[in-house]
Amino acid sequence: MIKLVLISIVSMYAHALFAQTAISGKVTDKTGSPIEGANIYIEGSYDGGSSNENGEFSFTTSLTAQQTITASFLSFETFTKTMPVSKMNALTIVLREDVNSLESVVLTAGNFAAGDNSKASVLSPLDIVTTAGAAGDYIGAFQTLPGTSNVGEDGRLFVRGGTADETNVYIDDIKVFQPYNASASNLPTRGRFSPFLFKGTNFSTGGFSAEYGDALSGVLLLNTIDTPDQDKTEISLINVGAGIGHTKKWKKNSLSINTFYLNLKPYQDIVPQRVDWIKAPESFSGEAVYRQQFKNGLLKVYSALSDTNFELTQEDINIAEGIRFKLRNKNFYSNTSYTGTLETDWKLTTGASFALDKNRIGIEETKVHNETQSFHLKLKLKKRFSNRFQWFTGVEQFIEKFDETVDDPNFPFFTSDFKNTSTALYTEANVFFSKKFAMKLGLRGVHNYSLNYTKVSPRASLAYQLNTTSQISLAYGDFNQAPKQDILKYSSQLAPEKASHFIFNYLYQKKGRMLRLEGYYKTYDNLIKYTTAQPEYSSLYSNDGEGYAGGIDVLWKDKKSLKNFEYWISYSYLNTQRDYKNFERSATPNFAATHTASLVGKYWIQDWKSMVGASLNLASGRPYDNPNTKKFQAEKTKGFSALNLNWAYLISQQKILYISVSNALGTPATFGYQYANTPNSNGTFERRAIQPAADRFFIVGFFWTISTDKKDNQLDRL
Amino acid sequence: MKTVILILVSFTVNMLTAQTHYDEGMKKAFELWESDKADEAANLFERIANAEDQHWLPYYYAAQINIIQTYRTKDAAAIEARLKKAQKFINHANLISKDNAELFILEAMLNTAYVVYNPSNYGMTHSPKVEALYQQAKSLDSMNPRAILNHAEWKMGSAKYFGTDPKQYCPEINKAIALFENIENKTPYYPTWGLNQVARIQKNCDE
Repeated sequence: MIKLVLISIVSMYAHALFAQTAISGKVTDKTGSPIEGANIYIEGSYDGGSSNENGEFSFTTSLTAQQTITASFLSFETFTKTMPVSKMNALTIVLREDVNSLESVVLTAGNFAAGDNSKASVLSPLDIVTTAGAAGDYIGAFQTLPGTSNVGEDGRLFVRGGTADETNVYIDDIKVFQPYNASASNLPTRGRFSPFLFKGTNFSTGGFSAEYGDALSGVLLLNTIDTPDQDKTEISLINVGAGIGHTKKWKKNSLSINTFYLNLKPYQDIVPQRVDWIKAPESFSGEAVYRQQFKNGLLKVYSALSDTNFELTQEDINIAEGIRFKLRNKNFYSNTSYTGTLETDWKLTTGASFALDKNRIGIEETKVHNETQSFHLKLKLKKRFSNRFQWFTGVEQFIEKFDETVDDPNFPFFTSDFKNTSTALYTEANVFFSKKFAMKLGLRGVHNYSLNYTKVSPRASLAYQLNTTSQISLAYGDFNQAPKQDILKYSSQLAPEKASHFIFNYLYQKKGRMLRLEGYYKTYDNLIKYTTAQPEYSSLYSNDGEGYAGGIDVLWKDKKSLKNFEYWISYSYLNTQRDYKNFERSATPNFAATHTASLVGKYWIQDWKSMVGASLNLASGRPYDNPNTKKFQAEKTKGFSALNLNWAYLISQQKILYISVSNALGTPATFGYQYANTPNSNGTFERRAIQPAADRFFIVGFFWTISTDKKDNQLDRL
Repeated sequence: MKTVILILVSFTVNMLTAQTHYDEGMKKAFELWESDKADEAANLFERIANAEDQHWLPYYYAAQINIIQTYRTKDAAAIEARLKKAQKFINHANLISKDNAELFILEAMLNTAYVVYNPSNYGMTHSPKVEALYQQAKSLDSMNPRAILNHAEWKMGSAKYFGTDPKQYCPEINKAIALFENIENKTPYYPTWGLNQVARIQKNCDE
């Protein structure tokens, strides 16, 4: 008996030893070129081999019957096939390129990606915050990119002949309703949020995805950090204020709190101002982010609170003693988002934001109180069918409620209000035909209940890779935007404004150098017109306006040619005319300069432990209307130029001294003119130049980070 | 009774062959690696890892080879692809062996590779990760010489960048050397590398 068993055992092993099947074949790519180093094996076993320089492989296996053979290689999709082992000889395995690899084509038309995860990244996270002249304002860094206009008296983003209202801002894909701080007219504002909360940004100057709507020109997408790296406390002392922040990290969740107090009074006492301040701008702001990691998803809750007030006498050509203007703004914003995976290859993104914005404005004896409540709810589902085909669809709801009371001693008490409610549906497909050729097709439909309209807008883009260093892309899209608050409070019988974009983009990238050329043409329809100088109750409103904008944007970036030095040059040519507001005919608006250029450089000086930066902003003259001539909007201001410098010195790894000066040379700037309403005794209209509050702006700051590893610092915030 | 013995014998034989199979595979992979066929070795480690579901070491070495190989090329696409792949291996290994200091050290090395290959893009985002990962590794295994040594090298690098004295971390290297000498191997094929890197890192202390 034992003998028998032993024999059978031995024979079993012998069988196993001798019954080896030889497996062989060749691995190639689509064009038939051999792939060296691919891993070919029978799934679940050790049996396998690597392909040689001719793509050939051979190995043996003791397995029999049906098995799965797998072939995998970097930057290619993994190949699997189930078949009888006996048939696995002289196989030809063709691997498909993995379209998610770094070498693949990217849809770049209209888009500036910034961050660590994008293949066509134009700005690194550090660039955004170390650009001279930006002074820690992320908006300032984007203003050095082509396609934007430098509107010094406003500070907001003006994209390709569009007004600042035509660009929307999103945090974690949820809308931000008041992205800019409250400001008086002709005084520049800045971004409301502190840049250090964001890990990446995407700035689109046209042709953007169907996921975003109600914007005619562009979108700025800010993404908050998923997981902070460690516990830390950050202290900042600046000549205009002070701040403190703290981040606490637990195993699955984390909390960051950041507060800042700003008061320009001491600064303005030292540096003379053109503006007659009664009460210098003072503000308190606080932000908090809570993040919670779940098994299959991530929840983020972001809240920001700010309280700003100031009072000044605004110069006015019609009133010798000026106009007293007083403002107190309180803003609360909260944004909750959740991203998670459902079943295989399904991804769910949902979120909501709420904003409450309250203004108490005093203009001489007139008191204006207004309150805006805004709400955005969003749900998006994304399905990944394969590496090559992805599709998403979503629905979103917007509600905006506005109330205003005007109390003027000379007029009866006046109230206005409106509600703007809309629902949008969108869907988009991303298709990679190959690693070289990709397409995106989207559709967005919106129904506005308050203005009673339904609009459907298509979006499309294509990208084709010419060779390993260059590619071209094309984009087309229709964009609709509901009238804004200043109009809606007087009229609700209007249609949305409309723009169509046609974009052609060429991108060249090689080893730290990048050239990006983009040509575009944009048409505007249904622009809102009114019959008075400013939107008023008594104006007649219509959608009779129209316009166009065409131009060329050039960006050259180089961080390779000189060690520790990096620079970029951007140039925009803009040709635009529009008939809107109270324009008597189609003309180039005041915010649009024909030529805009920026030169930005940064140099890290190892021996001085210093990062020094400089930027030069140039723009040709901006048009204005001179009522003393018959021609409308026919004159131009002098060109604009400003040289900004900054210097960050690392006292130690966690202590930084920062000095910056904008417009170091003090080049005078004139943004436009205000003309008198009535001519003087000689029959001419007198004018007043609109100029910056001061020629230069200085910042001196000390930043101190206290963390367990004693390494982190706030260089990324400057 | 005989049947019982028989069953027992055949059971052990099975277990032994399974174990030897793993041994043979691992040995073969190390041989390939030593004979300068790193990618083939990585492929074999990957096959072993896929076939076994209890062993984190094949994943560890498959990841390690892919990380080390990035220093041999300048091709950004290849580097990104390798690091992505290595991260996948580390994630798998973490599922098999939880709170393993060696895996944290490896992940710190992976993030270091990102910083080295493209500092302006990854420096700001990945440097704090490297730091945090070494700290986690040390908190899990305070006597791990590789954690101490590599962390010291990393800190020396950033000290040089920020213009402070890298020599302040030299005592940590000596501490690591002492620990290397007293090491006992817990598991077959458990990582032992590190001592051979001391000479390079110690150069920072000689200047």
